[in-house]
Amino acid sequence: MGAINSIEQLESYRRELASKVRADLPTVMVCFGTGCQANGSRLVAEAFMRVIEEQGLKVGVNLGIKTTGCHGYCENGPLVALKPQDLLYLKVKPEDVAEIVEETVKGGRVVERLVYRDKITEELVARYSEIPFYKHQHRIALRHIGTIDPTSIDDYILVGGYSGLAKALTMKPEELISEVERSGLRGRGGGGFPTGTKWRSCAAVDSDVRYVMCNGDEGDPGAFMDRSIMEGDPHSVIEGMIIGALAVGSHQGYIYVRDEYPLAVKNLTSALEAAREKGFLGPDILGSGFAFDIKISRGGGAFVCGESSALMRSVEGNVGEPRAKYIRSVERGLYNRPTVLNNVETWANVPEIILKGADWYAGMGTERSKGTKVFSLVGKVNNTGLVEVPMGITIRELVENIGGGVLGGKRFKAVQTGGPSGGCIPERLADLPIDFDSLTEAGSMMGSGGIIVMDEDTCMVDVARYFTAFLVEESCGKCTPCRDGLPRMLDLLNDITEGRGGDEHVAMLEELCDLLTWGALCGLGTSAANPVLSTIKYFREEYDAHIKERRCPAGVCKALITYSIDAEACTGCRLCAKKCPQECISGERKKPHVIDTTRCIKCGVCKDVCAYDAVRVS
Amino acid sequence: MEKISVIIDGKTLHAVKDRCVLQVARENGIYIPSLCYNSEVESSGGSCRVCLVEAHQGGRMRLVTSCNYPVRAGLEVKTDTPLVRRIRRGVLELLLARVPDSEVIREMAAREGVTEVRFRRDEGENERYKCIACALCTHVCAEVVGVHAIAMTERGADKKPATPYHKPSEVCIGCGACAYACPTGAITMKETDGVRRIWGKDFPMVRCSVCGAPHIPEAQVDWIVKRTGKDRAFFDKCPDHR
Repeated sequence: MGAINSIEQLESYRRELASKVRADLPTVMVCFGTGCQANGSRLVAEAFMRVIEEQGLKVGVNLGIKTTGCHGYCENGPLVALKPQDLLYLKVKPEDVAEIVEETVKGGRVVERLVYRDKITEELVARYSEIPFYKHQHRIALRHIGTIDPTSIDDYILVGGYSGLAKALTMKPEELISEVERSGLRGRGGGGFPTGTKWRSCAAVDSDVRYVMCNGDEGDPGAFMDRSIMEGDPHSVIEGMIIGALAVGSHQGYIYVRDEYPLAVKNLTSALEAAREKGFLGPDILGSGFAFDIKISRGGGAFVCGESSALMRSVEGNVGEPRAKYIRSVERGLYNRPTVLNNVETWANVPEIILKGADWYAGMGTERSKGTKVFSLVGKVNNTGLVEVPMGITIRELVENIGGGVLGGKRFKAVQTGGPSGGCIPERLADLPIDFDSLTEAGSMMGSGGIIVMDEDTCMVDVARYFTAFLVEESCGKCTPCRDGLPRMLDLLNDITEGRGGDEHVAMLEELCDLLTWGALCGLGTSAANPVLSTIKYFREEYDAHIKERRCPAGVCKALITYSIDAEACTGCRLCAKKCPQECISGERKKPHVIDTTRCIKCGVCKDVCAYDAVRVS
Repeated sequence: MEKISVIIDGKTLHAVKDRCVLQVARENGIYIPSLCYNSEVESSGGSCRVCLVEAHQGGRMRLVTSCNYPVRAGLEVKTDTPLVRRIRRGVLELLLARVPDSEVIREMAAREGVTEVRFRRDEGENERYKCIACALCTHVCAEVVGVHAIAMTERGADKKPATPYHKPSEVCIGCGACAYACPTGAITMKETDGVRRIWGKDFPMVRCSVCGAPHIPEAQVDWIVKRTGKDRAFFDKCPDHR
């Protein structure tokens, strides 16, 4: 069918699609997110097609099969979800497929070895929604991901897609803006600026041209919520942008996606084409007379291009450098026109807010941070991946309930939030609710929602050094404090971690932090001090140990540690000696071994392989 | 042009709305140090950060670069507070660590009481030993001259202006505007025997028909004639003998 010309036609098309769906039909959903594809989900999907053909089954008659976006539990991929039983199979291999078809698809039985097994209780959990990683989640931005095929606009329409737009078309721009304002939605890209306020400011500027933009330049290491949405549910972003365009009176939109996200670019491109074909984009959207279209602009991968003014420069074809935002982009943004720029996750929330209303959305979260937030939970935690939870959940709940606690029963030490220019929050503040303001008060930030869990083996000075090194690499070099201040900070941190720290080092670091915070041009620079400041604030004793005692308490900083073997614990098994790349461990079988510290390169292999915990770091 | 009144260092001043704080301050004899800003070049400014001042507006205080912060009604600016001086000193110490051989930076730093660098000094290559990477040269070339012969290359601490691929530029006209505009004198331009050398390229100069002094690169004459239609014969004589 061609373009849909009215809201009524959209609803009748949806009914028509729904009438063809058989709810009882067993359906296999293979995850085609980037993580699962890297783990071989494409081969799994091919195996399904082969087995189905071999067994003479017909897709659409005996079973349904589709590929979906990312479920967020990538470490257990390839993931296969099955309906109607609501099952999730983990780490599925092509050779498991015949059994899945025979047992589950045909027989309705569970293949137990593919089911989630709790790492502590050993309990098997077959149902998708009962797995602890998912049980505590509340999915709005990720509402469709994993259940719909992102390359099928019909799949999106079937689950209620573009209903938000249909409703928006019956509303006045002013009503749309105040609905978003009342919902309390704040920018998910990091700044937390109230979305409705931004829209209102843009709409108020007198201009014949306005732009609506989507920031898909997710650059924080370890964060992939935006990628997941663009890959897994591109229409939710597009629908949100059309609603935003209606609200502010824009006729041209841009999605800026980093080029490292090829699947996101591909799925967005095909989604835009499908949306145009169906009449959701173009000169006469759903017969309303409203014209709007979206272009994709691909970024080259500079971290700083996630900063709004640098992003706009990049879309214009210039070098992605920030400019002073004394005149805001809602007044003068892309091509010097009033521009609304929101992040992917923010846009994905918009259709639901319009459809279900501001009160529904504002009913979730905390007083000043409404709704839910997607976090990328990584680091030393049992369950890693993308999780969407209501704002205000505590750090501890996130780590313990969803993350399943710290890996290997180690002591939970800190979380690092907000990406490279976020900060570290110690375990003693783990009962802090996660929302924009609490995190900022604690010296970190929400950022795009990266949460890195750290255990007792993490050296906080080394963490500060790591993130500072990242920021040195990513500084665009336009302003003096960031360009020349960050390398000097890194010098000082290197001195400390390499045993050359002096009494004045911490004070000098603090001075440079002050300079960056006050003096840098853009958000990257003004927040770049967070990793150092937060670790000095909460883990000062570790800085002191490195400087005054030349000791790394976590045993990480190579210049400050030595490896030795505890003669009492060593059983003389020879394993460490065999694995040592320097061949500097000697000792006879069944007798205690010795490390030649003059040749040891402190790689830690001996400690990793020792089954008797006999290798000591001091 | 709408006029508004602003307060700078306690003085109430009348100024054109949206003009930058630095310009208004200069017009009224108030000193704010500045390096990367040139009032004739629209994109200049915002980079070196030595002109930071306190901007008090709407009950809120921010540290802003005076070279691109627009004056609007109700604005109060303070150019000499402990915060401004502390951050300015910090910026100058970093610049001094970067280009210890630049007299401009040394003098400006000394004026703020910064004479020593506590950080590791930059072991810069000679071509950037006075360059503070402010990009003013590239803005002048693109916006004033209209040639785009140089651009900023690399990023972070390695950022520097250069011709494409560091080869002699095909479009450079040897006008030297970049060198004249550079706040730290980091761009070398030399003339020997009627030939100007800049950015690794030689430009034969037109000699004055009266005094014989070389006064303008031939390539620059070509450019001006092409752009403005001016009579080529005008450049036969140097400015002193026209």
